[in-house]
Amino acid sequence: MKWEISHRETWLYEANPTLKLAVLVVLFLAVLLIHNPNVLINLSLALFLLFCFGTGYPANVLFWMFLPFFLIFFSSASSMMMFGEGTTTWFRWGLIHITAESFWRGLHLGFRALALGLLGLIFALTTRPVPLFYSLMQQLKLKPKYAYSFLAAVRLLPIMLEELQTIRHALKVRGVPRQGGLGKVKRYAIPLLSQSIRRAQRIAVAMEAKQFSGSGPRTFYYEIGFSKYDGWFVALFAAFLFAAYYVGIHYPYIPIRDVR
Amino acid sequence: MERKAKGLKLADILTTIVIAIVFGVIYKVWGPLYDMVKVFGFHADQLMYGMWFIASSLAYLLIRKPGVALLAETAASSGELIMGSQWGLEVLIYGFVQGLFAELVFAAFRYRRFDVFVVSLSAVGATAGSLIMDFYKGYIDALAPWNMALFLLARFIGAIVIAGAFAVSLAKALEKTGVTQMWRPASQDDYDALNR
Repeated sequence: MKWEISHRETWLYEANPTLKLAVLVVLFLAVLLIHNPNVLINLSLALFLLFCFGTGYPANVLFWMFLPFFLIFFSSASSMMMFGEGTTTWFRWGLIHITAESFWRGLHLGFRALALGLLGLIFALTTRPVPLFYSLMQQLKLKPKYAYSFLAAVRLLPIMLEELQTIRHALKVRGVPRQGGLGKVKRYAIPLLSQSIRRAQRIAVAMEAKQFSGSGPRTFYYEIGFSKYDGWFVALFAAFLFAAYYVGIHYPYIPIRDVR
Repeated sequence: MERKAKGLKLADILTTIVIAIVFGVIYKVWGPLYDMVKVFGFHADQLMYGMWFIASSLAYLLIRKPGVALLAETAASSGELIMGSQWGLEVLIYGFVQGLFAELVFAAFRYRRFDVFVVSLSAVGATAGSLIMDFYKGYIDALAPWNMALFLLARFIGAIVIAGAFAVSLAKALEKTGVTQMWRPASQDDYDALNR
């Protein structure tokens, strides 16, 4: 759905999708191993700047996309801040008990959620589904029947959204009373799912007839290889990690080195 | 000609992935909702967590083949990732682990039972999978004990209600629309009708 918003394609789009995914996995693990909040704050800041200036989307779109991240930052942080265990009490009110340890740990969790979310969003924004699955087939040897099924399913999404709109209008025209919660989910899910499943079955028959399920050697319409941008991509994230560690250790913002 | 290939056929895979992508969209919009509820505190948000297990339950109930639960949950979470989930890559790993645990429960019943009990049990399995990931990632073991108990209880109950009972009711309604005829062309009722 994001791919319909007009945007400029930066060099991040040119990097090999499989390589991007691999870098993402490495950074994901690296973020999990960071226990120094100073380092994590720096890394989050670097990723935020890349999100703002590297993805090529206009500022208002970026703002709306970033909004859920505020929420996740506060929600990840607040629960641990208010209810976590610790010894140095700062504030106590009923069940809420804020200690120095739980506060810093909560802040750390918030930044961790932010960093991981930004990593994923940068990947999602700068990777188009078609090259992604072609690259997974060529570089990671993902079975074509899985990859093409994915691509076919992604192509069905706009049709599903249209149908969702149709159902909404139909319910309105017929004066069906509003309903909340799971009942509402069901009212929309049954027609949407049944239509999608029928469509999927028809497409599957066509794809089987065209040997998309075959397991022999095959050629690809898009050949996805590696380029100089892949080198840049790896270098960029290595630089991020290094800078975050260097600044975090030599110029700390808060006097905590390990939140555990 | 050996036509009876082992494993999933393309039609099974495509249908599973289409179901998964539908739920991928739901998973994506569920994220901000979940965070909004989370602000209320007391783990009310955990009651909603079960929605993130429903793709595996529903795909298994409809297609009833080995491997479908794992594929559905992994595909739904990768759909969520591609749409820009606020949790990033994490959802893919969570999805895989949750799907794997749900799949193990179905495998333990040798893919022969499709009732509320087994599906709820798979939801419990998926919850266990998500908790393992949480323990590894989120420092939740540092929550105070009473709070921890509330957290676990809310998540298990939410999972059983949504990915267990609700998934079964969805599957029953979808059976009535006839979309499962490809996998189960004739039911016992049909044979009974012939014998009458």
